[in-house]
Amino acid sequence: MAELSPLLLELRDMSRELGGELRTMALALDADPADTEMLRESPTLSFLRVVGTPKAFRAYDVPAHAEQFTESCLGRVVCNIELARGDVSVLQAVAAPSLAGFTVDALGDAAQQDAFYRDFAKYEPWTFFGMTEARGGSDATAMHTSLDPDGDGGFLLNGAKRYVANADRGLMGVVWARTGTSSLSIRAVLLRRPAPGFSSSSLDMLGMRGARFGEMVFDAVPVPREMLLGAHLPASRRGLWGGNRAFTVVRLQIAAQALGAAFAVRDAVCALRPGWTGHELMSARLDAARELLYDAAVGADLDPDARIPVAVAKVHAAELAVETTRWAESALPPGTFLDHPLLEKWCRDIYAYQFMDGTSNLLRLAIAPSAGAHGEDS
Amino acid sequence: MTKTEIRPAIGLGLERLARAEGLAAGLAEALEGLGAEAAPGSVAALPAAAVPADADVAAHPLAARVGICFVRPAVSGIAPPAELTAFGVRLGAVRLGVTRRLLEHTVAHLSGRTIGGEQAVRKQLIQGTLAEAEVTIAVVRHMLRAEPAVAAAVADAHARLTGLDWELAKLLGASGYLATGPAAEAYVSRLTAHCWIPGSGELTWLS
Ligand SMILES: Cc1cc2nc3c(=O)[nH]c(=O)nc-3n(C[C@H](O)[C@H](O)[C@H](O)COP(=O)(O)OP(=O)(O)OC[C@H]3O[C@@H](n4cnc5c(N)ncnc54)[C@H](O)[C@@H]3O)c2cc1C
Repeated sequence: MAELSPLLLELRDMSRELGGELRTMALALDADPADTEMLRESPTLSFLRVVGTPKAFRAYDVPAHAEQFTESCLGRVVCNIELARGDVSVLQAVAAPSLAGFTVDALGDAAQQDAFYRDFAKYEPWTFFGMTEARGGSDATAMHTSLDPDGDGGFLLNGAKRYVANADRGLMGVVWARTGTSSLSIRAVLLRRPAPGFSSSSLDMLGMRGARFGEMVFDAVPVPREMLLGAHLPASRRGLWGGNRAFTVVRLQIAAQALGAAFAVRDAVCALRPGWTGHELMSARLDAARELLYDAAVGADLDPDARIPVAVAKVHAAELAVETTRWAESALPPGTFLDHPLLEKWCRDIYAYQFMDGTSNLLRLAIAPSAGAHGEDS
Repeated sequence: MTKTEIRPAIGLGLERLARAEGLAAGLAEALEGLGAEAAPGSVAALPAAAVPADADVAAHPLAARVGICFVRPAVSGIAPPAELTAFGVRLGAVRLGVTRRLLEHTVAHLSGRTIGGEQAVRKQLIQGTLAEAEVTIAVVRHMLRAEPAVAAAVADAHARLTGLDWELAKLLGASGYLATGPAAEAYVSRLTAHCWIPGSGELTWLS
């Protein structure tokens, strides 16, 4: 089992405290996710943005324990569990490099990374990561959005993306599109707003409303060649496959957030039923899931290509979180969720983790042993 | 038409009504005059059309969208357990109708979608879930019919429906997470049951 270092323990405690501050904004954000003023004014969100930025591009130095967040997968997991325990939807509203940043880290050359993070530090924008399309998200290789030659060495981006976080308010991000017919021709480009032909709108979602999901439409959006990521990499690593390592880290964070939200629900039940011991089984399940996640994170730190344990952790965390809300329903008197709107909101928020970063079915297909293979004993 | 549908049974009309017209229409019929005060907890789920303007309401935009309103009763008068269980059976029938709407929508959605060059509805993992859905629907319908006076059985039937609705919403992908559409209505169906059915799971709150 993973042992947390003193710095990671400090990071955990700091995250728990910050999570409490996130919670103070939770219901207002759910009621009006378009109200960006509250988010912009929050020192907590601003601090989290800086902590989530790579060290070289931070606006100011952060304490040594906060540094641990970007140092390792384990740091990210420890921190995300506690922040999400505050409120997942507000956590999703942090204007951070997020998936766009991970993609630039994995596929961008030094100049692209520099340009991305400099702009990020300057404008403090929300970022987007556009992969999914209305016709399907699980099978990314079937995407339709295209990068067509503009006749001058650059491209014109055509198509649309759906269910993208920060689609309507993000000033910069990454969009995936194809330059040809093969799956190797699916590439990521950096995009900034405003840009001619780039329009967007928000979608009304069941929960996780702090992430402001939406739709982006591209009608011959000019993309200079230097915005194409991965050109300096071997053909096999320029596109989707090159992004895989980035997706693994995100998957761990998503799993950690799902588990953190489940802890929040458990905590709320215990607070409503002081002295009740009936939570012990659920508490044990949550503690065990945290160990599973820590182990997957330690494994990913040792071998970033070890994706199966991460998929296992994500499938379990996403499902256990939903199960925790159902357990809460049975453990509390009828109608409690409507009297405690945070609990009800978390039920809706938690559903999101099923879809974010790969549905359980897709992950199951990745986890299933192939013919003839058998599991390891360790 | 299947054999079970031909046999007259409690709730079949309610199931059909909710399947055709939705949760609020079904709930309005199922209540048979029960008001907010009859609810076993602090909040009742009612059809919005039946709620007086001055009622103490727990605002819920998602529920409002499907015509459901959460109301804090002005007077006390919880219905006796047997009456609540009987209402639980009727509400179960309504929720079955809502679940079937969701199932039909899901099958149509997956039939029009291609994954890896194959119609999504033909994927075996998906077929497995859709088959389980049919099984659960049959089981719940028969539980409500065979054991209408056993509170724990009625609560279990509701818990199964909540679980099934979520399995179906998952199959819709991100469209199952929109605030509009049948998955959102199914979520309000879950909250409605939460207001009316004591401990829809393990009844542990009584201990
Ligand atoms: C809260 C939320 C946040 C999101 N954030 C972003 C974002 O920021 N950027 C972005 O690009 N996208 C985002 N998405 C979209 C998300 O990535 C997709 O929803 C996901 O990839 C699934 O795609 P889909 O919704 O099109 O479902 P589909 O691909 O149509 O899948 C439908 C169902 O079929 C199942 N399925 C798919 N393939 C198979 C198979 N081979 N065998 C069996 N079953 C299968 C799936 O598990 C699912 O249950 C977000 C979605 C949500 C709900």
